[in-house]
Amino acid sequence: MRKCKFEDFIDGYLLNRLSERDKEAFEEHYFNCSSCFEKLQERDVIIRTIKNHPELLITEKTEARVPLLATLKKEVRAFFTPRQLVLAGLTALLVLVVIFVIVPRNQAPAPNFFLTDEETVRGSSITLISPVIDMNQIPSSFEWKKLGENIEYQVSIFNHQLLWKATTKENRITLPEEVKAKMVPGEKYSWQVKAFSPDGTLIAVSSRVQFKIAAQ
Amino acid sequence: MTLNKIEEDIQELVVRYRPIIAFRVRKALGAQNVDCEDLVSEILSQVLEKIQSGEFRGESSLGTFVYTITSRRIVDYIREKSKVMKYAPEPHPHPDPQETLEAQEMSERVKKALGFLKPKYRDVLYLYYYQELSREEVANRLGISPRKVSELVNYALKLIRKELKI
Ligand SMILES: [Zn+2]
Repeated sequence: MRKCKFEDFIDGYLLNRLSERDKEAFEEHYFNCSSCFEKLQERDVIIRTIKNHPELLITEKTEARVPLLATLKKEVRAFFTPRQLVLAGLTALLVLVVIFVIVPRNQAPAPNFFLTDEETVRGSSITLISPVIDMNQIPSSFEWKKLGENIEYQVSIFNHQLLWKATTKENRITLPEEVKAKMVPGEKYSWQVKAFSPDGTLIAVSSRVQFKIAAQ
Repeated sequence: MTLNKIEEDIQELVVRYRPIIAFRVRKALGAQNVDCEDLVSEILSQVLEKIQSGEFRGESSLGTFVYTITSRRIVDYIREKSKVMKYAPEPHPHPDPQETLEAQEMSERVKKALGFLKPKYRDVLYLYYYQELSREEVANRLGISPRKVSELVNYALKLIRKELKI
């Protein structure tokens, strides 16, 4: 099948990156072109599946950047193999550093996420449910997947900086009117959820998901 | 296309345009909006009505005719809604009524396909679709060219589609 020139609009449309004009042109087009509509539906399912299951895309390379326990295990193993004394000594030192410096800061059992410089998280362990795509109006509530009982969630909403932060034990939070009043159609926002155990330990972080509120 | 021919094909028309209208409506209102279903049915009956009353004269394609009716109805809906929004009750989270078995099945296959992908494809899909970074940002993050990003995304999509076609 020959490629239709509108196919290149599909990602832009689904990720809300098209100009108003291109968006309308593409919308009219997919009412007329069954090939594009079929591809659009297919891509929509693919993107939504990715949005709902980012964990399926976390690779070893992603994990290899932080996983403390894995590093620890490897170091311990290296420690017991007969090697040069210096190497063993260094390894022991590393183990000590890991045990006394890094582990106490991360008491949660093997978190499978990590924070980069900009505090974005890969290997997120909280799945955000809504909003994760563009919104036609200012969202009234934010929802994510529940992790377990007795967990406190901290929700943050950002525009360029932090707009609002609140905590809840539910897996859903309603925006107060005064925060909604600060949100503007046409603008991009992002949000993130962090989960804390009853003793206040950070146990999971979602990725920071962006959504746009359609201009009126 | 004569009017008679269209009347004969009403069933076919519904089958063809319902999913397209539904897609457009859900994209505009958000899939969790409880009004989507009603709006789609309403648009569809408007289309049929207008065709039967002879309002569609074939100046534009039928697709464009349906598109125009759909877009107008969506604009009206948003206008009505933003007037009453302030006092409207909090919408409850609602399972997507249009989430057909077919889409669920497709999603299962996509999940399976994602699991089979090599790490280089998964990294790219994660940054591009999940984190919604631009092609250039993904390129920077991974130390490859933007063109290579497109190649990897396209190839990954091709692999996923293969799984969908089985
Ligand atoms: Zn096309």
